[in-house]
Amino acid sequence: MVNVKEFVEKAIKEIREKVGDGKAIIALSGGVDSSVCAVLAYKAIGDRLIPVFVDTGLMREGEPERIKEIFGHMGLVFVDAKEEFFKALKGVTDPEEKRKIIGELFVRIFERVAEEHKADYLIQGTIYPDIIESMGGIKSHHNVGGFPTKYKFKGVIEPLRELYKDEVREVARYLGLPKEICERMPFPGPGLAVRIVGEVTPEKVEIVRKANKIVEEELEDYEKWQAFAALIGKATGVKGDVRVYGYIIAIRAVTSRDGMTADILPIDYEKLRKITLRITSEIPEVTRVVYDLTPKPPATIEFE
Amino acid sequence: MVKIYVVYNYGQYNHLIHRTLRDLGVETKLIPNTTPVEELKDVDGLVLGGGPSLDRTGNCELYVKELDIPILGVCLGHQLIAKVFGGEVGKGKAGGYAEVKIKVVEDDEIFEGIPKEFKAWASHMDEVKKLPKDFKLLAKSEICEIEAMRHKSKPIYGVQWHPEVYHTEYGVDFYRNFVKICKR
Repeated sequence: MVNVKEFVEKAIKEIREKVGDGKAIIALSGGVDSSVCAVLAYKAIGDRLIPVFVDTGLMREGEPERIKEIFGHMGLVFVDAKEEFFKALKGVTDPEEKRKIIGELFVRIFERVAEEHKADYLIQGTIYPDIIESMGGIKSHHNVGGFPTKYKFKGVIEPLRELYKDEVREVARYLGLPKEICERMPFPGPGLAVRIVGEVTPEKVEIVRKANKIVEEELEDYEKWQAFAALIGKATGVKGDVRVYGYIIAIRAVTSRDGMTADILPIDYEKLRKITLRITSEIPEVTRVVYDLTPKPPATIEFE
Repeated sequence: MVKIYVVYNYGQYNHLIHRTLRDLGVETKLIPNTTPVEELKDVDGLVLGGGPSLDRTGNCELYVKELDIPILGVCLGHQLIAKVFGGEVGKGKAGGYAEVKIKVVEDDEIFEGIPKEFKAWASHMDEVKKLPKDFKLLAKSEICEIEAMRHKSKPIYGVQWHPEVYHTEYGVDFYRNFVKICKR
């Protein structure tokens, strides 16, 4: 394990030296990595840091509002891009295509903000496993080696490049970040879009967002790596004597140390039943709820 | 400090080997499999990581042939060692994913302090079909006959499962034993 105090001092010094008297920009996702980076950078260069949050419309319930609350005092630039994202995703069903579209649009918006604010440096929350996975071609992390933007930065700073996720959480606790950030479940960059199998529409996002909130609430006290809901297709149901061709929601809940391997969370039957009944009664469009029993490998944690 | 490098063969878990060794106080580094063999003359041991294909193992074959140090092959690394010494690799009758029950069939220092049966996590389609001539079988499972092997006289080991992942039991003990072997 890394020595947290030494690490924090070293990181702040590094950011201060590299940025000099210039300006640096950072994209916040609400996750622990970018949050830790933002706090380190704010301590290093104060209001010469420009934190940006892009609301893609694919975030969880209440997330954009919370980020405003937590990072507002750092002069957060908040971009509402919901319509742009839904427009770009219309008719797209291929998972890789979805990821690509979201990534590119994100970069374009980010580039716009960087240009407006004349940022010299880009700060990113890249962690050690991101660098390795990108080397191997398993996953492309758009945050490795800088965003592919046309806007020219003088440099890219990645203060967390040698840390593992659980070490970043240690640093977050040391920096006094709110518990919800320190212990935050990993959430994919493309957001709820990869928790919808097939085309992403505002209707489906709203459904999966509600279902996700129910799963998170009900499993709050469980020791876990991630617990969420995904919308995986359609099926027939009958609600109040009326046939409904509605959506299928899958509950996904896993334990893990690092996300590299994951086992399913043993949830007791009564709890699963309660989640199911809540989802089908609180969300009219859902007719069926299933619990995914597959470990990783062979399944991945997320559906797409 | 004992120096053990991890050869990166593009597998997802290679960096977890690096982490396990680092946390055991080993001087370690994840190195590209294109690293020239001359640059590895002063290391005390080598772990060959897993990965998608034997065609992408770079200089691994050279390392096994030319370096006279303890070597541990994991998953694809295990299959590569088998191939280099004349064994056979092919598709298993069932893929091994997630939990596999390992049965240790022969005592060895690499299993010191580890029970004869334990749960390990694996992720492979291919497996070692035939043991190389100079090797002996150390462990098997219900889905795979050759889960672990070692050279009869040299400290060269291969394991099909992933001792570095969190869900594998006794994984840290396994690497600690390998570190001990490298220290000699």
